[in-house]
Amino acid sequence: MTSDTSSEQPVNSILPKWIRAPQDFFGGIALIAIAVFALWASSDLQGMHGFSFGAGTVPRMFALLLLGLGAAVTVMGLTADGPQLATYHWRGPLFVSLAILAFAISIRPLGLVFSGLASFLIAALGTPETRWTETIIVGVCLTIGCALLFPYVLGLPMPLFPRFLVQ
Amino acid sequence: MIDLFHNLALGFSVAVSPINLLLCLVGALVGTLVGVLPGIGTIATVAMLLPITFGLPPVGALIMLAGIYYGAQYGGSTTSILVNIPGEATSVVTTLDGFQMAKQGRAGPALAIAAIGSFFAGCTATVLIAVLGAPLTSLALAFGPAEYFSLMVLGLIFAVVLAKGSVLKAIAMIVFGLLLSMVGSDIETGASRMAFNIPELADGLGFATVAMGVFGFAEIIRNLDAGSEMDRELVQQKITGLMPTRKDLVDSAPAILRGTVLGSILGILPGGGAVIASFAAYTLEKKIAKDPSRFGRGAIEGVAAPESANNAAAQTSFIPLLTLGIPPNAVMALMVGAMTIHGIVPGPQVMQKQPELVWGMIASMWIGNLMLIIINLPLVGIWVRLLRVPYRLMFPSIVVFCAIGIYSINNTPVDVVLAGAFGLVGYWLIKHDFEPAPLLLGMVLGPLMEENLRRALLISRGDWSVFVTRPLSAGLMAVAAGLLVLAILPTLRRKRDEVFVESEG
Repeated sequence: MTSDTSSEQPVNSILPKWIRAPQDFFGGIALIAIAVFALWASSDLQGMHGFSFGAGTVPRMFALLLLGLGAAVTVMGLTADGPQLATYHWRGPLFVSLAILAFAISIRPLGLVFSGLASFLIAALGTPETRWTETIIVGVCLTIGCALLFPYVLGLPMPLFPRFLVQ
Repeated sequence: MIDLFHNLALGFSVAVSPINLLLCLVGALVGTLVGVLPGIGTIATVAMLLPITFGLPPVGALIMLAGIYYGAQYGGSTTSILVNIPGEATSVVTTLDGFQMAKQGRAGPALAIAAIGSFFAGCTATVLIAVLGAPLTSLALAFGPAEYFSLMVLGLIFAVVLAKGSVLKAIAMIVFGLLLSMVGSDIETGASRMAFNIPELADGLGFATVAMGVFGFAEIIRNLDAGSEMDRELVQQKITGLMPTRKDLVDSAPAILRGTVLGSILGILPGGGAVIASFAAYTLEKKIAKDPSRFGRGAIEGVAAPESANNAAAQTSFIPLLTLGIPPNAVMALMVGAMTIHGIVPGPQVMQKQPELVWGMIASMWIGNLMLIIINLPLVGIWVRLLRVPYRLMFPSIVVFCAIGIYSINNTPVDVVLAGAFGLVGYWLIKHDFEPAPLLLGMVLGPLMEENLRRALLISRGDWSVFVTRPLSAGLMAVAAGLLVLAILPTLRRKRDEVFVESEG
């Protein structure tokens, strides 16, 4: 399902001239890829039997529809002039993703207090403007706030401290 | 008529209980708080705050969520007027005249008129929901699966027609959303579909997870791209004289009325919603004004009309959700998610079986609007100070808050990873000029559409013509087809692009 095609990001000048709207062209191709993937992923499901739908009928219908629409968007990218590919940046996406990932991995073993703060600090790397003193202060305050808000005020159960400390 | 009063009375008796009043207040305040922060739209706000309502009883949760929703709208208009930054897409047009008024030292009246307009619109819409609720519910009971399917097709087409940019790409996004909704277990056979034996996917992709990804995380990543160039031209002088003059009131009264009517209509239509309503109301005011050149230079009608319209639309969009069980826009889709979590299936049955839930929420909207008008004007100073919080501190906080929120929905780390992945997908979509809002709508309507499609065809014994032979269904399909043709006609599209050129979401 990941349609992360950032590999097509670099210089626009290397793209051939017949691609008149690269944004649409590559967008359409990605949609086609998603549709083909969905067709493949739902190929093991039962189709129509008689006039009653099987589990795979509607998913394949939508996938075929998306295939057609993706093709149409691609064709538009060839026939009408449109915007160039937008420039991608690596810093924001990378560190925000890392922060999310770090949180997901560490929340169970390490608890909210540690994973929250770690995730905050990693996310803060996402911009060069970060000033570390204030970031650490805000991060600590936010973590304390969340550690009080979620488990206590809202009553949502989640581990607060690392497992090995609690035991 | 007696029913109407009886229903409203029941609603108010639920809504004025101390705990519900408190939840309404907290919802409205938190909604305003997040709505004021630029870079977090209404959808992300509601998605982000969804988990905090989990521990509440169903009525309280819905009251709080509704409060968050209109609070966010309200907060958006405050920043539009004071700092020329629309906190929400719905208040983009408010910046045009609102900020000009603020520059002329008339920020007070602008804020007051926005609040009064919103309040009036909110009252009207509340009554409208109460009036239309019962008849629409009985209409809904006459709907068979074929009609439901056709109605949803119509809704999706509406969403496409009213969205900005390419019609083709908007349809593609809807179908992508429909396809995503297919992940998980099949409703009839229980077969696992496209889940790749990942246990967390067995129930399908969580709607809040995807919403948080494509609206929350993607928005943050994109804002980081832009860097700190966001100019924040704060109106520094003290805001004095909140009360509008008599002339202001006379000038804006008809505009508020027109905005309310227009907004109420656009809100009910599936696929419509607050964003479109505010643009349409502003365009209308400018068209019928004696001196259109005043607009953009601090015309009070330019604040009054769109603010009334977006509030009216925000509330009337509850009508299709409560009566037909069909969410007309992405925020309502999130409300469906919230209701499902509390074990409520939105639709005509809810109105009949749990009247205290529906009417309590409706009554609370009126109370919430009253609270906003009373509380927010004195709090303007605090909201403005909030805007001085730099983005470099705000965004890691939002990331962590969202991550905790998603984790708390099911206590599964996989959901957090999925939301992150959808954040990247959303970033990619933005870069390729695909709109994420239709995707969410498709994702919510997908299971409903499949269920009704299958049922309709089972009843008709596989005959596809049911959709055009049953009169109600045929009518809905005809409207959908007509709309689509109109949208694709190039001349009309060019005009449409002009109207909605600044719209987002």
